[in-house]
Amino acid sequence: MAQYLPVLALLILAALFAAISFVASKLLAPRRPTEEKLAPYECGIIPGREPPQRFPVRFYLVAMLFVVFDIELVFLYPWAMIHRELALYGLVAILIFSALVFESFVYLISKGALDWGTLQVSRRQHNELVGSQRTSSSTIRRVGGEGRFEEVVRTREPVVTEEAAA
Amino acid sequence: MTSLGILAAEMTNTEVWVTNSFFLAIAAVSILAALKMVTTDNVVHAALYLLIVLAAVAAVYVILGAEFAAATQILVYIGAIMVLLLFGVMLTRAQIGSETDLDHDQKWIGALISVVLAAVMGYSLWEAFSDAKLPDNRVPQGTEAVADSIFGIYIVPFEAISVLLLAALIGAVVVARRD
Amino acid sequence: MGGHPFLADGVDFGDVLLSLVMVVAAFVICLVATMLMVWFERKVVSRLQNRIGPNVAGPFGLLQTLADGIKLFFKEDIIPTRSDRFVFQLAPYLSLVPAFLTFTLVPIAGDFSGGNGSSTVFGREFYWQVADVPVGILFFLAMSSLGIYGIMLAGWSSGSKYPLLASVRASAQAISYEAALGLSLASVLLVAGTLSTHDIVLGQAGSLQTLNVVATGFVPFVVFLIAGTAELNRPPFDLVEAEQELVGGFHTEYSSIRFALFFLAEFMNTVTMGAIIVTLFFGGPAPLFDFPFIDFPHAWWMGFILFFAKLLVFLFIFVWFRASLPRLRYDQLMDLGWKLLIPLSLGWLLILGGIRVARDGNIGIVDDSIGDTIIVLVLGGMVLAVGASLIMLANRNARSERLRNEGLVAVANPDLGTSRAADHATTGPPGASHDTAQVGADH
Repeated sequence: MAQYLPVLALLILAALFAAISFVASKLLAPRRPTEEKLAPYECGIIPGREPPQRFPVRFYLVAMLFVVFDIELVFLYPWAMIHRELALYGLVAILIFSALVFESFVYLISKGALDWGTLQVSRRQHNELVGSQRTSSSTIRRVGGEGRFEEVVRTREPVVTEEAAA
Repeated sequence: MTSLGILAAEMTNTEVWVTNSFFLAIAAVSILAALKMVTTDNVVHAALYLLIVLAAVAAVYVILGAEFAAATQILVYIGAIMVLLLFGVMLTRAQIGSETDLDHDQKWIGALISVVLAAVMGYSLWEAFSDAKLPDNRVPQGTEAVADSIFGIYIVPFEAISVLLLAALIGAVVVARRD
Repeated sequence: MGGHPFLADGVDFGDVLLSLVMVVAAFVICLVATMLMVWFERKVVSRLQNRIGPNVAGPFGLLQTLADGIKLFFKEDIIPTRSDRFVFQLAPYLSLVPAFLTFTLVPIAGDFSGGNGSSTVFGREFYWQVADVPVGILFFLAMSSLGIYGIMLAGWSSGSKYPLLASVRASAQAISYEAALGLSLASVLLVAGTLSTHDIVLGQAGSLQTLNVVATGFVPFVVFLIAGTAELNRPPFDLVEAEQELVGGFHTEYSSIRFALFFLAEFMNTVTMGAIIVTLFFGGPAPLFDFPFIDFPHAWWMGFILFFAKLLVFLFIFVWFRASLPRLRYDQLMDLGWKLLIPLSLGWLLILGGIRVARDGNIGIVDDSIGDTIIVLVLGGMVLAVGASLIMLANRNARSERLRNEGLVAVANPDLGTSRAADHATTGPPGASHDTAQVGADH
């Protein structure tokens, strides 16, 4: 246990270093906050929309899969340490274990949990989806995403009425 | 002589004293963090306090010489399960600032039950182990010893875990499905 | 096995003093190495891009980082109004502290050509590393998983779009590659038979065959290098701070010294990751092989020179990656991690284990161990092939399911490349009318 004392000491030293840096910065740096400075950074545009509140559920699945692989790791390490003494028995045990974990991994892939990004379709199918007359609205719709469409309509409202008038 | 008296007598031994004071400090931190966790009004803050509690448990493992268990605690609980939990929170509704609907009318009943539960568990632990002591010259438990028991007497639970993990993943897919 | 020789049993005043000296030394080394790393990266990248790079502050611009650091102390520290103040201020600590702690594992010097890597000062034997914890490798993994929190919480607490997106991306990326990292590490463990970094280095000293990069068969090293680069969020895996998409990534809202600490942690992690690769696969301070004619002095500083030379190679490789490789797209990143590196390193680990058990003569399909090894190799190759085809099948299934959900039927040959070629063969304008486009877009 005493081996961990230097680790603890370094932890404290690192935390102290960060804390002292903050204090030094507080003493040395100017402090002239304005409303614009304290607003979320959006490259100069006034932030209109809230930060996204919902993300694709795939992130959750990836985290779940990571938990599974982490637990597998925790069992693989002890096996790797004494695999020579365990010989064939240990090899078979770990093979069964890994096969079952691998099976669930394959299941997850086949359910598309690890497919990211837009669907990669062939050029022909792609064209059917989009069409040659791409408009701003069709492009935005092609990317998809709930909540976006209303946004477009709202910001484009004057244009729409103009078109209706015409 | 009461158990507390034994504890006081042992405090004269330096090594025991150091170990005990470390333990007391860790215990105090984890209890405080646990209390903050249930009383805070922000989900992410609650998750952070839970993180402290889990780290404190890892520290207790280190003190007991169960280093593999400590590393596993950090790796699996803090490195994976808490990340999953934070993902679940952050990906759906983790507002910045305090949330009022995290409070509940029945919190006093809940507090009462938890106190009773803690008393029962504490009492039974005290009854069973109050005169148990850590061996004076304890050797840290090596990873080989852990491996020996996993692939020795615990081989069936070990294989069963893989089935459990499969079930967990299928559950995740079902929860995450489109409809 | 493992464990610091002088801290394992009993602690007295001299031990405490020696540890404290080592801790402070490690702290200073970390900071100086990080400073030099930033300079090294800027200098090498600019040379690769036909520029000169920093050359004003100090000789060869060596003090440029220091100047930048001092400047940042005098910059205004901004905490956005919509941020979560507590977490916003906590995140830099969570990023910096694990970066320091990982360094404790690395043996940076010592005589491993003949000696056991220990030195003696005032009658106390010690190793040239801050702490030789018995669970070394696991400690490294634990620290790298703690590093995720800094990024994740920094992004969330900023209360701003881009940092939040970046932090979600980053944590998904980090956990994906951490699994690959851990699995390739398991191969090292298989060969070394110990978790302690000192013993791993000791086991590699002597000859070229005992170096882990050779003994584990090169694949775990490649996986580790790729996964390590991804874990560091360095190019080509720097989606976390993809400037074109996310402004500055998770630390967009950070300024002044808070930003500097994230920056520091990032480069410190780079140095440490290089050092860990050297330790685990290239024998750290141990010589690569027994030089036949030259007899190197058996001293601790020889170990340091060897370690530093090896480290420099990997740091250069990291910079080289950055200068030459374009950034991956997010789906490519996840596919590389999950569908290639993880299954590959898992399969490799199991085959390696099988070979080693067979070589001991403990499988007994045929009478001699060489025959067993060959059988295991063939079986292992078959298992790998079956695994790979299963993953491909699963991939195809997922794809056709997605196509069906989009209201399209899977084409006979779903391979993108060939259908592109077919498109080129059928000339003419893309033949869809506006109506079909609308129908398609409704999904």
